[in-house]
Amino acid sequence: MIAIAAILAVTGATIGLGLYGVRLARTTSDLFVASRAITPWWNAAAISGEYLSAASFLGIAGLQMKLGSGALWLPLGFTAGYLALLLFVAAPLRRFGAYTISDFAEARLRSPRIRVLAAVVVLGIAGFYLVPQLKGAGLTLGEVTGAPYWVGVLAVGAVVALNVASGGMRGITYVQAFQYWMKTFAIALPACLLLLHLGGLPERAAMFGHELPTAGDAGLTVELAAPQSVTFPAATAYSVDGAPARAAEGEELTLPAGEIRLPPGAVVPVAEGIEAQTGEEWARPVESSGPTSPVFVYSLLLATFLGTMGLPHILVRFYTNPDGPAARRTTVRVLGLLAMFYAFPLVYGALGRVLVPELYLTGETDSVVLRLPEAAWPGLGGELLGALVAAGAFAAFMSTASGLMVSVAGTISFDLWRGGPAHVDARRRRFRLAALGGVVAPVALALVARGLDISVLVGWAFALAASTFCPLLLLGIWWERLTARGAAAGLVCGAVAATGAIFAGLAIEGGHPTVNALLTQPAVISVPLAFAVMVAVSLADRTGRRTADAQLLALHAPEGLGLGLEPDQEEVVGARMRT
Amino acid sequence: MRRTPRDELAEATEHGGLYLRRLIRSQLGLSTVALVAFGGIIGALPLALLLLPGLQDVYLLGVPASIFVIAWPPFPLFIAIAMLYVRRAAALEESFRDLVEPRD
Repeated sequence: MIAIAAILAVTGATIGLGLYGVRLARTTSDLFVASRAITPWWNAAAISGEYLSAASFLGIAGLQMKLGSGALWLPLGFTAGYLALLLFVAAPLRRFGAYTISDFAEARLRSPRIRVLAAVVVLGIAGFYLVPQLKGAGLTLGEVTGAPYWVGVLAVGAVVALNVASGGMRGITYVQAFQYWMKTFAIALPACLLLLHLGGLPERAAMFGHELPTAGDAGLTVELAAPQSVTFPAATAYSVDGAPARAAEGEELTLPAGEIRLPPGAVVPVAEGIEAQTGEEWARPVESSGPTSPVFVYSLLLATFLGTMGLPHILVRFYTNPDGPAARRTTVRVLGLLAMFYAFPLVYGALGRVLVPELYLTGETDSVVLRLPEAAWPGLGGELLGALVAAGAFAAFMSTASGLMVSVAGTISFDLWRGGPAHVDARRRRFRLAALGGVVAPVALALVARGLDISVLVGWAFALAASTFCPLLLLGIWWERLTARGAAAGLVCGAVAATGAIFAGLAIEGGHPTVNALLTQPAVISVPLAFAVMVAVSLADRTGRRTADAQLLALHAPEGLGLGLEPDQEEVVGARMRT
Repeated sequence: MRRTPRDELAEATEHGGLYLRRLIRSQLGLSTVALVAFGGIIGALPLALLLLPGLQDVYLLGVPASIFVIAWPPFPLFIAIAMLYVRRAAALEESFRDLVEPRD
């Protein structure tokens, strides 16, 4: 009950603040002039707020519980992505005055056609990224209210689409900044209390012990709503609805729906797709083979390091920086804020192994963050903290999904829906229709993708972004010989290689472990491929070569020299986006 | 009237192009140095943990040391590299400004 109230409160506050912010921005002064007054700290909190999604809030801890400490490479890569953004993209892109990647591609390469191609890739990345947000919503609402999975998916999909369509959540820095602090508080407070409550780390050393996850001192009772295929890592006696049964070591069977009971100290059976690990195996961040093999780890680090700069909802935020140096200062602060947040999810992943081992049986390790508070403190305290975590998770879905939906709706209504009257009212109507229409496909995919881990889904979005927009941005900013044809060829090759590998990985079962790892995280191959194709085709393309001095000057000239784009000219770029 | 480098840049003359490319090359060089520093440390981490399994057997506060190594220390390192980079990048731009518009 408390949790439902907390979720409703955070949803209401988000919508309310969004609508209020829009009115404020419209009546007082132009949104973009006002945004010049936003300090790097506010901007950094807003960027972090939009960035920390279900994958960070629920996914890291869930994947860590399931796979082991190999999941800790994720927050490292998620944060390092901003270092890449800082070193190569932040200041030039801000100076260039490009609002989206499609804008950048068109203006840098002087080709309207590349804009359409970039827009299609934006939709692909946003789609991959929206699905896990909706999955997280379905999961959270189910945990809190017992509602079926599809209720949460549909509810959040509808709320986000309506919110974006009604004009809320459009570049409202303060709402996103609020969401960052809300999420950090919601994940940090229970984590700190859990560590204190359990007597600090040394007391809990047993969790890293040499055993497999076991039922606690009181045994373990799990309600299964549907039959579940499991593997018993050790011979175990158990009961189903009171009827005793036994399973031998290594036995695979399907548990029927009903109440499953395990005696105290029994080794917990694991759901299909999870490997039972001893504490020692679980604690290893890399292993010579399997899901945390070095190939996979490097591919994941590369995808997150290079993919962050290609996320459509993040680059938009850099436009609210007053100038290039401010964009750099903002990025440094983002690194600090993300580091603060990422200090906490691993507490849940580690403690979940001991306190909620039933998630190994049900396979829903993604809900460990939501379950842990009530498992640690049965009673009102646990319920309150559980409500806080659920509200924080909702803040994560709402802010990321809204930011993505704005990108999707903007891309559909502005880049793809051409022709007809360009009147402001008509464009606004198109934006609304695009927001409502654009949510349908991700919702449908989220309903199908229930069995996939949130972090894995988000990993694909990063792989796709790293294989397409990363080469486009890096070469476009730093290499003057990039041509439109080269960029287009590279975008297509990178996108096809990344998505092809991902879907092949879904279709193929039981291949060689290294091949499987590469198919699930293809960046280590698809990113170099995209770079190579872009460079090779650009060099071979003699007709498309034109001098790019004016573009390079706009990208790199420091402010205050009267070179490049000065604020007056930028109003032209900004005006287009204000519809 | 004497033409300043600023005019050359604004009019996109051949000289202006040289100034611009020099700026871009110096900025790219700085970013690459920062990238190599970062990549050398973080990139070596997975291999180091794999090749030195001893590190995975050391326990700190009851927790395997390898977890501590990847969970917290890299983050301050990112921030340190970022801050150094921002300072150097601003200095490069300052010297470009002096070159283009000499204050006499």
